[in-house]
Amino acid sequence: MADGMNVGVNLEAFSQAINAIQALRSSVTRVFDSLKDGMKNKETLEGREKIFITEFQDNLQSVNRDLNELERLSNLVGRPSESHPLHNSGLLSLDPVQDKTPLYSQLLQAYKWSNKLQYHAGLASSLLNQQSLKRSANQMGPSAKRRPKVQPSALVLPPQYVDDVITRIGRMFPDMTIELFRPNGTSAVLLVTLGKVLKAIVVMRSLFIDRTIVRGYNEDVYSEDGKLDIWSKSCYQVFQKVTDHATTALLHYQLPQMPDVVVRSFMTWLRSYIKLFQTPCQRCGRYLQEGLPPTWRDFHAFQFRHVPPVMERNTD
Amino acid sequence: MGVTCVCQVPVAEGKSVQQTVDMLHKKLEQLGAVKQGSFWVDCETYHATGNTSGQPSKLLYVMHNSETPLSCMALFEGGPCLTADVNFDVLMLKLKSHFQNAKGHKVESRGTRYRYCDFLVKVGAVTMSSSARGISVEVEYCACVVPGDCWNLIKEFMQSFLGANVPELPSVFATKSEGLYAPSDCMDTMTQYLELFSKVRKQQVIPGASVR
Repeated sequence: MADGMNVGVNLEAFSQAINAIQALRSSVTRVFDSLKDGMKNKETLEGREKIFITEFQDNLQSVNRDLNELERLSNLVGRPSESHPLHNSGLLSLDPVQDKTPLYSQLLQAYKWSNKLQYHAGLASSLLNQQSLKRSANQMGPSAKRRPKVQPSALVLPPQYVDDVITRIGRMFPDMTIELFRPNGTSAVLLVTLGKVLKAIVVMRSLFIDRTIVRGYNEDVYSEDGKLDIWSKSCYQVFQKVTDHATTALLHYQLPQMPDVVVRSFMTWLRSYIKLFQTPCQRCGRYLQEGLPPTWRDFHAFQFRHVPPVMERNTD
Repeated sequence: MGVTCVCQVPVAEGKSVQQTVDMLHKKLEQLGAVKQGSFWVDCETYHATGNTSGQPSKLLYVMHNSETPLSCMALFEGGPCLTADVNFDVLMLKLKSHFQNAKGHKVESRGTRYRYCDFLVKVGAVTMSSSARGISVEVEYCACVVPGDCWNLIKEFMQSFLGANVPELPSVFATKSEGLYAPSDCMDTMTQYLELFSKVRKQQVIPGASVR
């Protein structure tokens, strides 16, 4: 059933404890059997009584021994881990129809796989960074020591750390306010309000940005039941386009070892949208193309461009 | 509710009002706009009676807009304004002793409503006592709420189908170009319509005593 979920359990002691339970059971059965059989047929009454009492005592002592052994082993077994790493999805394991829908075991495998992938990607990126392809000298040596310690698993960060990073980033930009919510478990959901232009909802997975959706300033971010609405698209075509660009941006800014740098770069890129309606396109000089203002922001130079209906790669 | 700009388009040379309106419709459809029904905006004038000092009595304008069919806007020119329920008309009837309806001064604009990307364009013929007096064009950019940001954008769009008849920045924006455009009660739109209707009224010389 829950393989590997109860990592705090000493499996060796567990199997020994099961054997000890069986031994205890058999010794208790022996006690009651000897009581049931009564006194054996011997010559004298004293002899019979003595033998009966000795046998009874022996049986009780073996019961005592087995019980002590069991208690010792049960202390070694340990408790199953209290905090479910998968929170509410652990409740899926209670579904008894295991053959038809092996949902929980598949879920566990998927999580293990993605964690391993993240770990390997981190290792690979640290190795690749050592073989730097840049031609300029004198950059990696001394700064490598001052670089922050690589988090072995940046996926399981304490929520307080995430809160701190987000507040620090929020303070960097005066015209951008970031509010943090945790409506579903430990993943943070940020509501970024950029001036009076747009509101962006950013769903995070510890410090990694998972997905984002951008809506207009006058659109409602809450759904009918008062919770943050993270699914419905914007009513306006311009913000649907900006959502697509933001998704491209969060795929572009990737740095597995330093996720806070990633979040900062993404916010800096998003902040350039404060002039979404004010700036003409840098390429054609006009404000509108097919009714849309220039919505594309270059990732390095933050230039404003229109996106033509047929996507052509901007080779800069 | 976005930034709205209302302007008057002069009637083309040698054409009637209806023909100019049709020309505008064709240009919009060429751009790719989609017709989305019709709209109307009307304005009734009320004189405040009981004013004994001999000054011209203040005029109260009561306006309706098909965008907000359950509301009624009442404004003094350049003065305070209020948004009320449609029963406000009935209230005005009850206040007959204080406010007299100037029946001949009702102005209204009716026409078709187009949607192009995030723009809403309403081209209407302005009529006063069932005679066509001019053409009103309202352009709303729904995605933005700050007029100062998107004025150039709206101007460029209007140029694409109005040609050279693009207006200047409306006076309601001049005061609050950085602020939020009337969030939900479209009072700024109504103020612009009022200015347009007043201009249209002035264009026609009304024989006899005129309060304006």
